[in-house]
Amino acid sequence: MSIEQFKNRNISDDYYLVDIDDYPTTNLGKFTRAIKRTFKAELLVGLWVVMREMLKFNIHTVQYPKEKLPIGPRYRAVHEMKRLWESGTERCIGCGLCEKICISDCIRMDTKIDEESRKEVSEYSINLGRCIFCGYCAEVCPELAITHGGRYENASEQRAHFIMYDDMLTPMDMLKAGAQKEFEGFGAITPHEDESVKKTPLSY
Amino acid sequence: MFEAIAFYIFSILTIIMFYITISTKQPLYALTSLGAGMILISGFFFMLGADFLGVVQIIVYTGAIMALYAFGMMFFNTTKEIQEPRHDSGAVVTLSTVAAILVIMIFVGPIIGDKMVSLYPPLQGATNTQSIGMVLFTKYLVPFELAAIMLLVAMVAGIVLAGKKMDRSLTLMTEEEIAMEQEAKNKVLV
Amino acid sequence: MGIDYIIATIIKIVIVMLVFSALAGFGTYFERKILAFMQRRLGPMSVGPYGILQIMADGIKLFTKEDIIPTSAVDKIFKIAPIITASTAFMAAATIPFWPDFTIFGYRVQPIITDSSVGLLYVIGVMAIGLFGVLLGGMASSNKYSLISAARSSAVFLSYEVITGLALLAPIMLVGSLSLVNFNAYQVGGISNWLVWKQPMAFILFWIAAFAETGRTPFHLIANDHEIIDGFGTEYSGMRWGLFFIGEYANMFFISFVIVLVFMGGFGDGSVLSALAFLGKVAFFFFFFLWTRAAWPDVRPDQLMWLCWKVLMPLAVINIVITGFVVMF
Repeated sequence: MSIEQFKNRNISDDYYLVDIDDYPTTNLGKFTRAIKRTFKAELLVGLWVVMREMLKFNIHTVQYPKEKLPIGPRYRAVHEMKRLWESGTERCIGCGLCEKICISDCIRMDTKIDEESRKEVSEYSINLGRCIFCGYCAEVCPELAITHGGRYENASEQRAHFIMYDDMLTPMDMLKAGAQKEFEGFGAITPHEDESVKKTPLSY
Repeated sequence: MFEAIAFYIFSILTIIMFYITISTKQPLYALTSLGAGMILISGFFFMLGADFLGVVQIIVYTGAIMALYAFGMMFFNTTKEIQEPRHDSGAVVTLSTVAAILVIMIFVGPIIGDKMVSLYPPLQGATNTQSIGMVLFTKYLVPFELAAIMLLVAMVAGIVLAGKKMDRSLTLMTEEEIAMEQEAKNKVLV
Repeated sequence: MGIDYIIATIIKIVIVMLVFSALAGFGTYFERKILAFMQRRLGPMSVGPYGILQIMADGIKLFTKEDIIPTSAVDKIFKIAPIITASTAFMAAATIPFWPDFTIFGYRVQPIITDSSVGLLYVIGVMAIGLFGVLLGGMASSNKYSLISAARSSAVFLSYEVITGLALLAPIMLVGSLSLVNFNAYQVGGISNWLVWKQPMAFILFWIAAFAETGRTPFHLIANDHEIIDGFGTEYSGMRWGLFFIGEYANMFFISFVIVLVFMGGFGDGSVLSALAFLGKVAFFFFFFLWTRAAWPDVRPDQLMWLCWKVLMPLAVINIVITGFVVMF
């Protein structure tokens, strides 16, 4: 793509500058303008445009609760806690980086040394009522244990439900079915994104 | 029988409505009850078979005149009750005397009414609208035309009065022009 | 005037009330659907198949919603105002024939509540009284937006009353009667007999004025959502607001009936086919009210007044003069 082509950002060649006359000051000018506007039948053009769209029946509505648009992997919705593929144990090593970096102070974790003298996470909670979904916790996690998922529909009767660790942890059956989604990283793009890229009609 | 029932209902309601109009302190009550009274009067025309006059009563009195009153009342705070500054007992006496005479006339009227003869009886086979047209454009042609001319004069006068400064637009004037105008106005006041 | 006449009249009144209250509900559904399709949307889809039960949901909502009356409002007038709008809209239907005469159980039924000799004037006059609902509602609300809307509505109604009257005068001169049944009888015998061909100017003027009388979109400045919220309806809630709505939609239906009866041949010779065509024509004019709402922008109040007094009124008067000469010679 040469630079000339790149500079031409109009999406079609039909663009033209609208020629706007000065407002008439004389009475005759006002009269002729009124007559012109009356018989130009521009109102019929408007009627035709909406009628055409109705007859085409090209509906763009997404009936949301029944249909959902795909969501990009970059999207930062409710967190997910991942498990190790081989053993199924939690990936979280209890390093506490996410708790430390969390700018809205909504992550709390508690760790202890278990019988095999390994560090184990005994408590882990994210207060989603406070979380601003900045994504620092996922960025800082050395084990890719905490990531953001795509679940954006949150509704509950109690605030306490928004800090349930078990909801975020990948269930064992999902893991066994191989349905645990790996985090693609922060630069990840939506699948088939380049197909939907268009030139903008604005030439800066 | 139905006509008698309708007559008494309409007359009682009309009197109540007009009583509210003059007795209330709330402008909106007065406005509404006056409008309702005007409409109720049209009921009498319908009962008498004068359909055209009944409809004209609705259109002219309620649709146009009352709406103009209401339009004028937009400039006041209509949600507040109005305290009358004084009660003129003289006016009350005069008005009640006139009202009493009216009541007597209303009761005596039917006795005289039996002897009344219509000078211009409605034409046989003509509809209500047509017979009104006949009377208006034969016997009462001159008063009718005079009224039309008077209304025209009133309309022209209204346009002249209202349209004096119609071309003046504050948006098109410069700041200096507005200031000069303001100064001139202040000079007149002083 | 026998007892059977009174019973028949009461039955007719009840039927008109019920049918047009229901149609007002369906009107909102059609409006939402048609506007949605014209804007590439789907409109109500969730309640019932294709959202057809949305009317029920709206009705339940309106009936069960709390009826709030502002403390500083003039409460009696505030309560009466929506009833005026709704009742005048239905009263206007008294002289409109909705269907040609037919025979049922041996009775000859005239589907018109009363065939008055001044039918057309009555419809226009009573419809204009509907202004009082808007006006009083706006003035009693003690809300500035409501007051602006009341002022606008009275200005619009008063101005366009003139256009309606003058536009209808020319066809009245041709027909020589004010009864809508006579108007229909005048146009019997095919499309070529329709008054719209003899009075195209009056037709267009009346059609424009009909938009002002019903406050529909090109002239929707009475309750323009984007500048004065809902105008006179701002302070209303629940069923009182619903009554304003029913009044508006009933007015739209009735004015469509009047346009068709006066200019587009009405129900013609009274056969079932032409009666169905009558309803079809009425449906088109109702549809046009919705169509323009999707297509056209609103005009400013001063533009509306300019249109009324400087354009439409002179045209109406010229039309009357020409018609007068034609009738005379």
